[in-house]
Amino acid sequence: MLAVPLLELSNLAVRFGGLTAVAGLDLAVEAGSLAALIGPNGAGKTTAFNAITGVYAPSGGSVRFLGREIGGARPFAIARLGIARTFQNIRLFRGLTVLENVVAALAGAERSGVRDLLRGRAWREREDSARARAVFLLERLGLERLADARANALAYGEQRRLEIARALATGPKLLLLDEPAAGMNPAEKHALRELVRRLRDEFRLTIVLIDHDVQFVMNLCERVAVLDHGEKIADGRPEAVRRDPKVIEAYLGSEAESA
Amino acid sequence: MRRALVAAGLACAALVVLDVLLPRLLNPYYLTIASRIGIAIIAAVSLQLVNGFTGQFSIGHAGFMAIGAYGSAAASVYLGAGLLDGLAGVLPAPLARALYFPLPLLVGGLAAAAAGLLVGIPTLRLRGDYLAIATLGFGEIIRIGILNLDAVGGARGFSLASPAYPAIDLRFEGLGGIYAVVVLSVLAIARLVHAGGGLAFRAVGEDEIAAESIGVGATRVKVEAFVVSSFFAGVAGALFALSEGYIHTNSFGFTRSFEIVVFVVLGGLGSLSGAIVAAAALTAAPELLRGLGEWRMILYSLLLIATMWLRPQGLLGRRELSLPRWRWRSLRLGARRAPARAQ
Repeated sequence: MLAVPLLELSNLAVRFGGLTAVAGLDLAVEAGSLAALIGPNGAGKTTAFNAITGVYAPSGGSVRFLGREIGGARPFAIARLGIARTFQNIRLFRGLTVLENVVAALAGAERSGVRDLLRGRAWREREDSARARAVFLLERLGLERLADARANALAYGEQRRLEIARALATGPKLLLLDEPAAGMNPAEKHALRELVRRLRDEFRLTIVLIDHDVQFVMNLCERVAVLDHGEKIADGRPEAVRRDPKVIEAYLGSEAESA
Repeated sequence: MRRALVAAGLACAALVVLDVLLPRLLNPYYLTIASRIGIAIIAAVSLQLVNGFTGQFSIGHAGFMAIGAYGSAAASVYLGAGLLDGLAGVLPAPLARALYFPLPLLVGGLAAAAAGLLVGIPTLRLRGDYLAIATLGFGEIIRIGILNLDAVGGARGFSLASPAYPAIDLRFEGLGGIYAVVVLSVLAIARLVHAGGGLAFRAVGEDEIAAESIGVGATRVKVEAFVVSSFFAGVAGALFALSEGYIHTNSFGFTRSFEIVVFVVLGGLGSLSGAIVAAAALTAAPELLRGLGEWRMILYSLLLIATMWLRPQGLLGRRELSLPRWRWRSLRLGARRAPARAQ
């Protein structure tokens, strides 16, 4: 018997009025794998992420996580099931400190609130263990010396890493990275590749990342799916995908088409 | 443990100063201002939870104060007087009063919290301007509704005197008691927002989509903030009713709501101590400027305009005033970094 894929999209569609952003997307992501979703700008990559994480409700098809239908569930409920993400345009809690950003994610699942008023031993233990865990995560991402800085005071690359640390704090099984390499130079991209690999192994994650560049995911992902105009045009090992004539056309011909 | 003892000692000293010393030194006029400052502080700090930390914009806070005020006043007159009479029959009078007075405050707070839940669930789906208008409308509905309620005096206002027990004094006097409630309220809200769990409020205030992405249910958090905030607004209203002894809906119009919003914005959205400073200063200012006659409201407005001009982020921005040894137990690493290094 085949194992159930961790994440399974079948015939997923997202439409905004007359515009179809994602049309009939099928994708199965095996547990422990490192996959990429690539495609030209406007291909529907981020929309697919948003449909998986509940930011948009799918207009059709299904999203199954661990064999369970999650299409249309609220984003926070999906996050609690074990899907964490980062955003293309970084969304940190800018006014909070680096440490608070991560602690917020650790506390996200358990709503304490009013019960915290009486600060008993249980509260203090929870608070201390959350802090220790947050510091640990920050260390894994090389941000521990910035723990007390405001998030908006961080450099761009550091903000990206903090977003990953915050996502990890939710204890995810599946991590979705939306253009983690955007705006990075080749050296930074190289470091990012190492980081992604290391995190996958250390935290036993399944990672799906978005990029528009085949080159970036080449030596990183075992599996690449290519989207163009909301449709999947290729899916397979990166070398094969790179040689796929449809992919070449999508990338090189897209400008001519849209003109 | 030692901290707790120090705190208890300080509290007792403060009670003695407020209840025994001040009434001898100051005339009743100043005492009234002092009690109104305390009430303004509770109102400001409770609104700060919604507007400053959770990032919503509610401008109907006076409505919740009205519910608290009228709720506690009605409970006092129709139920409390008999209860207090009964308690005074078995216990020494000061003890009976000390035991009794938390009750009407709690009734006022809970009534306002219930209203907050009712109003919060539908309106917190709205954003920005729409939420502001909805809360403003709600505040007015409450005020006009009460104005037409004959059981609480309607347009004549409502006196805290029970016809059945004319000898019972239902008023809650003494700055000590009022400021005890102020301190407890501020402490409760400070603990809420400066704890790990309370980060949810600030996370939602910063970015709802990001908050949801880490498992924080934004709607639930907003409703929670609104209910807690309403509760303390209700307590502030109840304190007002019990200390003044007479209330009228005119005290809870939208100018009062705006006043509280001004406290919060001027103090700095997201700063509890800012809200406290602003509430105290702006409640005292019109009184201190009273010598200037009709010019005082103009000066007061100029003061506001100048502050917003010079410090658009509010007096304190998001920072908190704190004495070095009495910090909020906040999430700073500082000296606590060592154990984490050991891993």
